[in-house]
Amino acid sequence: MTPPHFAFSATFILALTGLVFHRTHLLSALLCLEGMMLSLFVALSLWALQLDITSFLASPLLLLAFSACEASTGLALLAATARTHGSDRLQSLNLLQC
Amino acid sequence: MNPYVLATLLFSLGLGTTLTFASSHWLLAWMGLEINTLAIIPLMAQHNHPRAIEATTKYFLTQATAAAMLLFASLTNAWLTGQWDIQLMSHPLPTTLASLALALKIGLAPLHTWLPEVLQGLDLPTGLILSTWQKLAPLTLLLQLQPMNSSLLIILGLTSTLIGGWGGLNQTQLRKILAYSSTAHLGWMVLVLQFAPSLTFLTLIIYLTMTFSTFLTFNLNNSTTINTLATSWAKAPVISSLAPLMLLSLGGLPPLTGFMPKWLILQELTKQDLAPAATLAALSALLSLYFYLRLSYAMALTMAPNNLTGTLPWRLLPSQHSLPLAISMTASLSLLPLTPALTALFTL
Amino acid sequence: MMTYVSCFFLGGFILSMIAVACNPSPFYGSFGLVAVAGFGCAVVVGSGGTFLALILVMIYVGAMLVVFVYSAALAADRYPESWGSGGVAGQAVGYLLGVMVASGFFWKEEYGVLWGFGGSVEELAPQRGDIGGVSWMYSLGGPLLVISAGALLLTLFVVFEVTRLLHRGAFR
Repeated sequence: MTPPHFAFSATFILALTGLVFHRTHLLSALLCLEGMMLSLFVALSLWALQLDITSFLASPLLLLAFSACEASTGLALLAATARTHGSDRLQSLNLLQC
Repeated sequence: MNPYVLATLLFSLGLGTTLTFASSHWLLAWMGLEINTLAIIPLMAQHNHPRAIEATTKYFLTQATAAAMLLFASLTNAWLTGQWDIQLMSHPLPTTLASLALALKIGLAPLHTWLPEVLQGLDLPTGLILSTWQKLAPLTLLLQLQPMNSSLLIILGLTSTLIGGWGGLNQTQLRKILAYSSTAHLGWMVLVLQFAPSLTFLTLIIYLTMTFSTFLTFNLNNSTTINTLATSWAKAPVISSLAPLMLLSLGGLPPLTGFMPKWLILQELTKQDLAPAATLAALSALLSLYFYLRLSYAMALTMAPNNLTGTLPWRLLPSQHSLPLAISMTASLSLLPLTPALTALFTL
Repeated sequence: MMTYVSCFFLGGFILSMIAVACNPSPFYGSFGLVAVAGFGCAVVVGSGGTFLALILVMIYVGAMLVVFVYSAALAADRYPESWGSGGVAGQAVGYLLGVMVASGFFWKEEYGVLWGFGGSVEELAPQRGDIGGVSWMYSLGGPLLVISAGALLLTLFVVFEVTRLLHRGAFR
């Protein structure tokens, strides 16, 4: 495991654990999701740059476009949740529990 | 919803799944999954009820996490082996990560907890899309991850069948029961995935047929709890006599279609010297059978001379087309004699 | 020299992700994400991808994170928790310990020289690798471009449909 590989794996797993374990706000969860996509972006571009694969260097841009899609959808859901539940705390999302 | 927007969304829903089907490269498969997730979100949130919004939020968070995990697994694979092809994933670490991410995406047992809550917040047609069409793309990816860690899939499958039976025992809400039954069926599929992928495919097709007819029946009766099932005979008498049979077919009783996949899977597992796993799976199917039996009891045996458990509904003419329900109901009841033909059809 | 610089960037990348992951209030969280984006840019530049880093700065810091900071107003806490307050600091220390243990586990001595990145780092070359890749996307990668543009258009519909007509349900 080379150091760049370790760095992006560590950031991805950090963001994933941050998302999975205790989150107070929905917005913080979305921030963690964006952090995951960001570490994936860095990983993808480093992979293509290190191996010098020219035709693969466009794929980080596609990844960034899709993560922008995800982020905007998440923010729209944030607005909808804030309107229907009154706040964006994840603890208030408890209408459907068993 | 505007019909043009609805058409766009449904088209992209199909496009995303098709993209995942057609791709052999992980990045394209990931894009297809993302388009799929994005396209179903407004369909889920279309009623703007707080429960629908909450279900949509939960669905979005889990699906986005699972997709990111999948891409992380394929990137790790690329860093370790330099390979982006789906079918050439050879390193065990990214393969395990990818199968766990796909298990989160389709709701297999240790990672299933979002599925009942999300399904509970939706209306029945969207729930039908969620529990049939949305499972296809992740399952094809899971099918293509061929050389895999065998014990992981068996553990996932066994816990899914067990928890899918156990969780549904105490439920009175039909959609939660259907979610747990979906988990249990997917557990059966995953259990046999590495030994006979064609059997997984056959099980998937039969599960889709049975789930389709179940959701359509409940949608026709407008029922979301067990109590409203008890008065469904007033609405459509023929369906209320066929629906218990269909539920028993979901549970997997012999003269019905649902017995076929369980039979073949148990035989295949026994052939692979996995008799303990086969026994455990068969015993946990009994748990599922219990709540299917409870549903059919409420539907068929609490009839007119007894005390009613709910108020009688108006006998309006149903607005739903009856042909899809008729076809899928027939298929989900009486396909068992066609077992040899179907296995020959799906053996690739 | 390059080794120390890239070591600093990679370490900053991990540390700022810890700052996001340890559950501070969204204000501070989005600030941490800006730091992650900055260090990520530096890492990408260090291995020769200047154009990609430029795109990352323009999209992340320029567009998306502004929206995130703006919508942090929806999530305003009365008593916002920064990294100094109890629970957040505890989680941060826990994550830091986890990262250190993991790096100690994966550390090998011969990687000391590999901290520098590979790739072509001739500084003023007119045809750099990443620009070639992006131009590849406009020539041969047309279907991919169409797919991602379609996804962005779809997102427009999705956002409109999700935030539209919220007076119809429970209404606040």
